[in-house]
Amino acid sequence: MQAEIEHEGKLFDHTLTRRILAYAKPYLWPMGWAATIILVMALIHSYMPILIKTAIDEYLIPTSSSKDADARLSGLTGVGFTYLVLAAIAFSLRYLQSYLMAWTAERIIFDMRSDIYAKILRLPLRFMDRNPVGRLMTRVTSDVDAMQKMVSDGLVGLVADLFALIAIMGFMLYLSPTLAVTLFAVFPVLFGIMTWININTRRAHRQVRAKQSSLNAYLQEMITGMLTIQLFSRERDVSDRFDHRNSDLRNSWFESVRWVSYFFPSMEVLNALSVALVLAVGGVAVVQGSDTITIGVMVAFLAYIRDFFRPLEDLSDKSTVFQSAMASAERIFGLMDQDEEVREPEHPVPIEQFRGHVEFQSVWFAYSKEEWVLRDVTFDIHPGESVAIVGATGAGKTSIISLINRFYDVQRGAVRVDGHDVREYSQYALRRRIGVVIQDPFIFSGSIADNIRMNNPAITRAQVEESARYVNAHRFIEALPDGYDALVQERGITLSTGQKQLLALARALVQDPDILLILDEATANVDTESEQLIQDALKKVMRGRTSILIAHRLSTIRGVDRIMVMRQGELIEQGTHRQLIGHEGYYRRLYELLAHRPV
Amino acid sequence: MKAKSSQYSLWSYVLAHRGQVVQGTLLVAASVAITVSAPFITRFAIDALVDGSATWPKIIGYAVLYLGAVALSAIMALGMRKILLSLGHQVEYEVRRDLFARLALLDYYFYSRERTGDLMTKMTSDLNAVREFVGQGILQGARTTIGFLLAFGVMFAINTQLALVMLFLLPATSVLFFLLLSIIRRRYEETQAQFSRISNFCQESFAGIRTVRGYGIEDRYNSLFAGLNEHYIALKMALSRVERPLWPVMGMFFSFGVVLILWVGGRQVIAGQLTVGEFVQFSQYLFILQWPMLALGWTVNLLQRGLGSWDRIRAILDAEPQIKDAPTDGSSTKALSLTTPLTSQEPDAVSFKHVTLCLGGVEVLKGIDLQVPKGQTLGITGPTGSGKTLLAMLIARLLDPTSGQVLVKGCDVREMRLGELRALIGMAPQEAFLFSDTLANNIAFGLEDTNPDIVFAAAELAELHTDVKAFPDQFETLLGERGVTLSGGQRQRAAISRALARDPEILILDDVFSAIDTQTEAAIQARFQSFLTSRTTLIISHRISSLRHANRIIVLQDGRITQAGTHRELIQMPGYYRELDEIQRLQAELEHTP
Repeated sequence: MQAEIEHEGKLFDHTLTRRILAYAKPYLWPMGWAATIILVMALIHSYMPILIKTAIDEYLIPTSSSKDADARLSGLTGVGFTYLVLAAIAFSLRYLQSYLMAWTAERIIFDMRSDIYAKILRLPLRFMDRNPVGRLMTRVTSDVDAMQKMVSDGLVGLVADLFALIAIMGFMLYLSPTLAVTLFAVFPVLFGIMTWININTRRAHRQVRAKQSSLNAYLQEMITGMLTIQLFSRERDVSDRFDHRNSDLRNSWFESVRWVSYFFPSMEVLNALSVALVLAVGGVAVVQGSDTITIGVMVAFLAYIRDFFRPLEDLSDKSTVFQSAMASAERIFGLMDQDEEVREPEHPVPIEQFRGHVEFQSVWFAYSKEEWVLRDVTFDIHPGESVAIVGATGAGKTSIISLINRFYDVQRGAVRVDGHDVREYSQYALRRRIGVVIQDPFIFSGSIADNIRMNNPAITRAQVEESARYVNAHRFIEALPDGYDALVQERGITLSTGQKQLLALARALVQDPDILLILDEATANVDTESEQLIQDALKKVMRGRTSILIAHRLSTIRGVDRIMVMRQGELIEQGTHRQLIGHEGYYRRLYELLAHRPV
Repeated sequence: MKAKSSQYSLWSYVLAHRGQVVQGTLLVAASVAITVSAPFITRFAIDALVDGSATWPKIIGYAVLYLGAVALSAIMALGMRKILLSLGHQVEYEVRRDLFARLALLDYYFYSRERTGDLMTKMTSDLNAVREFVGQGILQGARTTIGFLLAFGVMFAINTQLALVMLFLLPATSVLFFLLLSIIRRRYEETQAQFSRISNFCQESFAGIRTVRGYGIEDRYNSLFAGLNEHYIALKMALSRVERPLWPVMGMFFSFGVVLILWVGGRQVIAGQLTVGEFVQFSQYLFILQWPMLALGWTVNLLQRGLGSWDRIRAILDAEPQIKDAPTDGSSTKALSLTTPLTSQEPDAVSFKHVTLCLGGVEVLKGIDLQVPKGQTLGITGPTGSGKTLLAMLIARLLDPTSGQVLVKGCDVREMRLGELRALIGMAPQEAFLFSDTLANNIAFGLEDTNPDIVFAAAELAELHTDVKAFPDQFETLLGERGVTLSGGQRQRAAISRALARDPEILILDDVFSAIDTQTEAAIQARFQSFLTSRTTLIISHRISSLRHANRIIVLQDGRITQAGTHRELIQMPGYYRELDEIQRLQAELEHTP
């Protein structure tokens, strides 16, 4: 997954196909119906030229029948009606079929997309950190789209084309074996020439795509680095290089245009060749007074030739659709096979409510092998106690928080909440009882109220307002143009850092968590007034709850029941502020540093 | 199109190739003329068969003639496509070339206003639309018009009644097709809008995964996602309802045409007013005109899009940079003559006179006065957002002051040629931008040629040469996605090397030591000693260790110089600098005491 190499997918891959088919399985019925309709349609469609033949031979050509003008006219009208009715039926069937198939494809893709999305939400955080969001998005968007194209058009289109070809060939043989066999003899040649042109057109197109993306990459880079270019006065040089790529692209377009220019005219010539054959062979037969070949038959054959070529033309497009779908399927299932690492227990211990007893017992933890971030950490936090963890950057404070709500699993030792290892609970239930407050919280686009209730419809507006009021956020929210309904993020208002922090507190509080984890990282840009509001709110939400803080604010540190000092992954000192400050130690130096930090 | 006059017009690009336009159009006419004549051959053949006058050599003759006519028309068609579509690509190439030349001229103001993504869209999909406008637009436009006129001329000559039927039928098809297309487009845009809602939702929930997971609400997000998708499906099915029947409806319409011809024409055949051959000829025109008529709707759409895109592209072509060379009054030497002033005393390498800078209506630098004598080092520090980088940008004239003057070697930078000014300056910016090219080419970026000795010397000065040994191809290693990704410190040192390689008179280092550890920094500083004596240097930094050796240090706070002096002087005064010094000493102590 690290370096993603775009490659042409295989046309067929056994394992992938099986997995794709597994998604199609619930929709076998609609797919079966679609196939049946296609069959009927192909028959009707290829029957229609026969009507034209009848019209010409029976009613139009004066020598061919002894009927009088009136009978011929009414016969002609009748054929016209039949033709119209059949056309209408064929139209309705085609519509029904393609709608059915579009629906089926959408449902299949819906299932697939939901699975991918849910899977990504379960993937380990280290995976998420390693893979840019853009790449994950591609899985859910364009890769899925490629699959959708294959299911809705490629697959069914292929079956439809095949049926149509067989039906046309059948009718041709039925009308005139001589003409049919003559044409069948040249078709492979025609098909060969077409395929050759097609392959070259596609190769030229691939070349264009490659040149285009190289040019785009260069362009993007140059636009991003334009000020650097100007600073070093390299405009001319860079323009020359760009021109080189630009003319490269143009030349490969020229090459592609050359093949495209061949394509349609040669289709026409090949088509004309078949027409000429029908004219020559059929015409000579008519002159010689053949029983089977009539003028009507010849006209019908002209129609069949047209229908015959159409599906052949887009056969190679279909193979492109299949290839890119297979490449996408490979990436999609590659993602689905990723290890989730943090797993649900088979029989999770039910959680009613936590008393809030948190224990670490000889915990060893590393994000990657043997690079220990926590070394043999042991502590015990009682229900209702408030604890501050302090230490320099990289001492392992944040990891402690990530372990309690089980973002990661420990390598050795155990993390327990209320006497049970966190691995014994359902991770979702566990996290729902634990509130996390982050200094720079993620604000989702939506209203303020939605951001506080985190889209939980069970939380009422009154509850939202109550918790906002409790954490001093109500005042700034009320002052917004739409109050709680004000939209944030995209096209909405921008919140200040201080306001975001208050929002994060309200968000945590409204869930009424039993344990609070607070990441109070050092932040600049918070004005004194917001700072006081936050301080006050923090004190209020911690009251009566087990609270663990990673603290940088002196006032918060001084206010907690206990301080734990971390240093390079080890817990080195603990006690109250008074106890720790009382002797010359690491904490005292740390405290001095914090006292200096400009707010 | 807007009435606004512009030095760029799409027509001037097209008309530069008027020879090709004429050739292509003539070929279109010839090819269409032959295509329209071919049904005569089938008609004569059939009529001969019906009235019994046909002999087999005559029939074979018709068949060969038909084949020959189509082949001739195909050759013409080949030529017309090649010429006209290539013209589209040639114009695309030229517009893109001019766009890039314009982008290279545009300045900081432009780039801080425009997003890279939007510019890319203009340079790709808008340009594509313009290319289609030129290539396919001329091709299909000419084909449809000429084909329509010729075919109807012939049809009216043969049989007025049938020709009238066709005249009603075909435009009706065009209109129907165009209407369907516009409904499809509208619904398509709706699905796209919903699709980007889904994309944004994914983007947010993946970027905010820690929050989603922290609250244990994955199931809620799964169902929100499902809801968005359900709506998306509903919209897509609404699209399907009009898009899927598009071709079947057109097919129906043609079947209707066939039946109409059968009824109207058949009646005449029976009455003896029309021959069977003429009847077949008419039905062939139905198929010949089928595609051009459908293409009409498509072409109109193409032209609309092309014009809209051209307007957006022209906005870039017409954009004027604010920062550019002063209008030349014939003297680029003016700047140089000013460097030899009347007084014997050499002017300051860099000086600021009452410089104020406003960006977006906010005063970001206020009344800056500053002199840096030649050969001296100035340290600049201050909190984030205090305007340090802007100061550096003013010297290199990436920005112009709102009021006041920035002088380099005694000359106002606005009076110097940009190229000459920037040739004096080597600047390593805060966020070093490295190109996906070899390391050597990145270091030698400011030089005409990549000289390996200079590259090595510059890398050595910046302490990068030892790291380079570990790279797969040493200095020839590719950087970026397809090569080696440099660490933050390595990037910064590469940027320093790049600035040094130019052998600049004025060196500006904008916070380039932040990701470099203190030992390496000390080593670089030691190597710099001899290098810097002959140059003027500005070092912007948050680190006391980078600043302490400077001849003079200024503290910028909120766009103003609040403190100035040597390291020794500043640590005596209460204020930002002393505070910074104390914090950093404590930090060092905490990190290093066992």
